[in-house]
Amino acid sequence: MKILMFTWEFPPLISGGLGMACYGMVKALLVQGIKIDLVLPTKELVYFPLRDESDADTLPAVFLDPVLQKEFSERSFSTLSQKLEYVGISGRPESYFNLGEIKQYAVAVKRESWLTQVVTHEERELWEEMTTNLIGEEDLMRKVQEYTLRADRFAKVLDYDLIHAHDWLSYPSGMLAKQISKKPLIVHIHATEFDRAGGPGDERIHKIEHAGMTYADKVIAVSKYTAQMIMSRYRIDTGKIRIIHNAFSLPAESFHKRHRIFSGPTVLFLGRVTLQKGPDYFLDVAERVLKVHPEARFIIAGTGDMSRQVIRRSAYLRLKNRFLFTGFLNRKQVERVLQAADIYVLPSVSEPFGISPLEAMAFGITSIISKQSGVAEVVNHAFKIDYWDIDLWADTINHLIENPEKCKKMGIEGMNEVNRIQWDEAAEKIRHLYSTTLAEYIRRMSNKGE
Amino acid sequence: MLNIIFYFQVHQPYRLKHFNVLDIGHNANMFNDKLNGQVMRKVAEKCYLPTNKLLLELIRQSEGRFKIAYSITGTAIEQFKQYSPETLDSFKKLVDTGCVEIMGETYFHSLAFLYDTNEFLDQVMMHRELMQQEFGYYTTTFRNTELIYQDRLSDLIYEVEGFKTIVTEGVDRILDWRTPLYAYKNYSKDINLLLKYYQLADDIAFRFSNRDWPEYPLTVEKFVNWIDHLTLAETGGKNLFLNLFMDYETFGEHQWASSGIFDFMRHFPKAVLAKQHLGFANPKDINHLTNYQQESLSFPEAVSWADEQRDLSAWLENDMQKNAIETLYELFTRIKQKGDPDLLRIARLLSTSDHFYYMCSKYFQDGDVHKYFSPYDSPDQAYVYYITALAELEERLLR
Repeated sequence: MKILMFTWEFPPLISGGLGMACYGMVKALLVQGIKIDLVLPTKELVYFPLRDESDADTLPAVFLDPVLQKEFSERSFSTLSQKLEYVGISGRPESYFNLGEIKQYAVAVKRESWLTQVVTHEERELWEEMTTNLIGEEDLMRKVQEYTLRADRFAKVLDYDLIHAHDWLSYPSGMLAKQISKKPLIVHIHATEFDRAGGPGDERIHKIEHAGMTYADKVIAVSKYTAQMIMSRYRIDTGKIRIIHNAFSLPAESFHKRHRIFSGPTVLFLGRVTLQKGPDYFLDVAERVLKVHPEARFIIAGTGDMSRQVIRRSAYLRLKNRFLFTGFLNRKQVERVLQAADIYVLPSVSEPFGISPLEAMAFGITSIISKQSGVAEVVNHAFKIDYWDIDLWADTINHLIENPEKCKKMGIEGMNEVNRIQWDEAAEKIRHLYSTTLAEYIRRMSNKGE
Repeated sequence: MLNIIFYFQVHQPYRLKHFNVLDIGHNANMFNDKLNGQVMRKVAEKCYLPTNKLLLELIRQSEGRFKIAYSITGTAIEQFKQYSPETLDSFKKLVDTGCVEIMGETYFHSLAFLYDTNEFLDQVMMHRELMQQEFGYYTTTFRNTELIYQDRLSDLIYEVEGFKTIVTEGVDRILDWRTPLYAYKNYSKDINLLLKYYQLADDIAFRFSNRDWPEYPLTVEKFVNWIDHLTLAETGGKNLFLNLFMDYETFGEHQWASSGIFDFMRHFPKAVLAKQHLGFANPKDINHLTNYQQESLSFPEAVSWADEQRDLSAWLENDMQKNAIETLYELFTRIKQKGDPDLLRIARLLSTSDHFYYMCSKYFQDGDVHKYFSPYDSPDQAYVYYITALAELEERLLR
């Protein structure tokens, strides 16, 4: 079985949990014999034919243009990162290309030509919904437009049985590929605009999400929490939704080691500094804890649109040199900061799943997670608190600081628990969904044939 | 007689690295040696060396009638030694002419005066010793960091043996209807005050190459003519002082050589000395030149020479600046209790006012000036690196 997969993030292109989830999932799917052609927001027009488990790490790339492909294949690269740099992968997805650099950047989304392909009235409505909302001059919107335009090429040239698209950034691509190939589409909901915005959010993105989910044959939700959300907010046919929890696979070694940075208890927030993740709650909790335990250190690892606000407020609250910011961290640095933390907190306002607590738990760090998260459905050895209950967060952290043995024990129990949550199980469910979806599709096609 | 007093500020900070939380605990160097070396060598080449050469020539040509004063920070002297020893030599040659006064200040160009009196006095004494050691010069005129002044400063400086005069900004809200051309006394009449004539000083320091300025281009003739007209108000034979205080980097660095700033300076002294009633003096000369009863001035609030407001807001306005400096001076106390000289040295390098200047988030034009001088992308970034460095310092203290 061969899958055409669209996603915005994949290591080393990572800005949040989506990349790590895709990595674990793809690796486990490869082990189960699924072949995947991966399309990422790369600078060059390339895709990644993944066949063996190790391909998820080495990322073999193929240029669509045969001339460029010849050039590429004749070149030798001394390191993997050099090779990835060549195809345009370095750092974060947001920085993968400057729009000015794109040679083929088309004038506009070809709405009309796409609309001529549609058959039914319902289909036309969904296409109108997607194309009229895939507009805007913001950097991200234009990048999604560009990514979608390119999907046209991939959908026509590549050969595949099924399309799998992760989060709204790639739904238009998935829709286009389905329209071109008539192959079934599965969309995977890691987060909705409601989660990210912590409120109504961007209307255009809602519409694209709605169109994508409705146009898809199947919808995967990463938690019950998310399934609820897409049923109530997007009115998606319940029969299409499958809940498949995310898991976590450690990229081998590194973890059990502890390397303290601070002599005092260290509390970590790891994630994007955006409304969804609740960094402002973290700040208020820190203020309360530092009044009782000035020896504690709070670290925000990550960046986002709330960084400046949080930095300035931490200064306003006079948290001294006890509330610190690492800025954006790469994988290696994330591991180093995890090795240094005692307590991990995820105060998300709305978290469809939340893979980073699993990672923290795998490092043996005691975790406190928001009740408003999908990950709370799958782990037991972590504290679960309503994101808004700042006093309880502070009391819990104080309690853990005052009882280091208990804190350690909880960390070890959490680690053992997480090690049992493997991607193999989730991948097995996805593979099963692929098979049934494909079987339904074949039946439908042969019915049509008769 | 109108005496022009030139005083030039010579300072370079030790800029911090982009210091990350993950760097804590490795005894890593917090300072950006590479950048500091680059800046020092660049400024030496563009400003210090050519300007020193020019001013030495002018002093010799004038046969001692052209006089200037410098205040040179300890961190600048140290970095001359590290990165540009020839610059230090050229300053020594200038001092040897006898026409150059060296002024006293805090060794680390710090804001200690506002936060820690003992530390402030320590830094003042360290600086005096350094000036004696490097130039054989005993300082008698005091200049606080960024010309920050208030009444309390004069009390402290009066207690330090030898200081007779303090220089500061001629702030309108203090002077009111008075002119900064007179020598004044502090509020308790114990010590002399010299006030910067900011309109004319800033014509050279800030506006010289500004093509939008109606007076552009500033010629020697025009400038001397302005100065000449200042004296018309005074006919009683009193000795007046026109205090032109500015950053030394004005020459060749803030105002590029191509702006004609060097030519301006080359011809300025001669044009001044051609006038009977105009001359040059050093700050210390006011002790014998003042031939009238000096009025005393009270500065209840702190003033400075920075930005439009001429107050402390360039360093101590927003919460980042306040949280950073309060945390630093708390650590000072603990470091001194422990008595660790290495940590004290780092705390002092972190006390340099530039670190807080980089965190300034005032919008408007002044913010642009801040941005020009900052090695960081934003005030927030400057704050994050600084506060992280303080976390490293505290960890070392706890070890």
